[in-house]
Amino acid sequence: MNPQLVMAAGDPGSTDIWAVANSPVLWICALGVFAVIFVQCILYSRAAKKAAPHVDMPINEVKESFRAGAVASIGPSLAVVLVAIALLALFGTPAVLVRIGLIGSAAAETASASIAAGTMGAQLGGDSYTQQVFGVAFMAMSLSGAMWMICTLIMTPLLKKGGSTLAKRNPAVMALIPAAALLGAFSALTIAELPKSNVHLILVGISAAAMGLCLYLAKVLELKWLKEWALGISIVISIVAAYFLHTA
Amino acid sequence: MTTTSQLSSADASMARFEKQTSRYGSITMLIGLVLSLIGPIYIAFFSGLEITSTMIWVAFLTVAGTFGVLWFVEPLTYFPILGSAAMYQAFMIGNISNKLLPAAIVAQSTIGARPGTKRGDLAAVMAICGAATVHLTSLLLFVGLLGTWLVSMIPADVIDVARLYILPSLMGAVLVQCIVAMKSLRPTVIAIVLALVMNFVVVPMAPAIGMFATAIVVIASIVFSWGLRDRKKIHTSES
Repeated sequence: MNPQLVMAAGDPGSTDIWAVANSPVLWICALGVFAVIFVQCILYSRAAKKAAPHVDMPINEVKESFRAGAVASIGPSLAVVLVAIALLALFGTPAVLVRIGLIGSAAAETASASIAAGTMGAQLGGDSYTQQVFGVAFMAMSLSGAMWMICTLIMTPLLKKGGSTLAKRNPAVMALIPAAALLGAFSALTIAELPKSNVHLILVGISAAAMGLCLYLAKVLELKWLKEWALGISIVISIVAAYFLHTA
Repeated sequence: MTTTSQLSSADASMARFEKQTSRYGSITMLIGLVLSLIGPIYIAFFSGLEITSTMIWVAFLTVAGTFGVLWFVEPLTYFPILGSAAMYQAFMIGNISNKLLPAAIVAQSTIGARPGTKRGDLAAVMAICGAATVHLTSLLLFVGLLGTWLVSMIPADVIDVARLYILPSLMGAVLVQCIVAMKSLRPTVIAIVLALVMNFVVVPMAPAIGMFATAIVVIASIVFSWGLRDRKKIHTSES
């Protein structure tokens, strides 16, 4: 056996991200995460079905709740699909499935990856985005996602015991800190795109305007689906514009 | 109101449900956590990419500077809404506010159960199971199979353009979405001013700060937003 066959043949300086990003090991891990969530759903459904008759909840209401949740999430799920496909070129399929489709969100994960690439002196997607940078970015966003889960695992039992949470004691802090943190993060990342090139500058404007228009129309015309699809639509419009600006 | 005997049997079966879901939930989440880390560890350390643990630490700590506070705040924020059973579902499936919460609310209103009641809690858990099933299936089909095929069909130069410009195309929209969702003027102005100062004054003068720029803006935004908060408004909206 050639030992090189066992390890993925990576090349730190290569910009062929897909060569490592679609490795079979990543596919197996991604499908494993899917399987775990399916198993969790089955276990939870069984527990809920067992408890329901004791709280005056007939089984058909349990099934109806499942169906209502499923139908309600068709639109949002397809909206996530569109954003995920747009990010495939950057991270490869398995990483997109796990990080953007499941555990994280497109915005937070891409932000983490971009910040991680920055620490390597590189930019996501550019000539400096090598397999090595991808490896570091993927590791950093996975660790960040893991911290969310670790906090949930540690804090949920504690919150269950202690009735008085920080949220009850100081609602002002609880509302302000996440808002300020998210606004700070996305302002910094968006404005960091502006000086990169004229095309970047224009695209940030187009993408922001598209989102603004979508959200405005969604509000005025009361189109809930448009709010869900706004991110995907804005990305597609901006990428199409990028193609024309780049080739012009 | 139900009678005392009915109430205690209902309480006991809900307690059993909570105990079961907490155990299943934490075990499945732990397995999901490990699986989600095996992939990147394999890529980083066993694929010949010459990645050192220092590179990982620097990248991780810089990301922590940006999102670290949210690791703690988000579970705190969602716990009162989701309840302990759904916490283990929500933080593994993701997309909580844009998908799982609406699904739970729709299910509760379909069967006419109020949130926070026993029926409401069970309806929410079942709704999240339903949402997760649809989500996993559509991701596997449309991203896993169709998406991979689609990207392999698109000409390489179009993919290169998409890869090169995906970040500005995403961030502009995300920032606007974030501003609209937060509906808080002062933190928005503070964050944008700080980000402008950082990118156009501080980083050009001291490029070494560049890699920590986002983390610094985040921490400064929290500090300034708190320091300059509208004390009157927050006080009255507390009720």
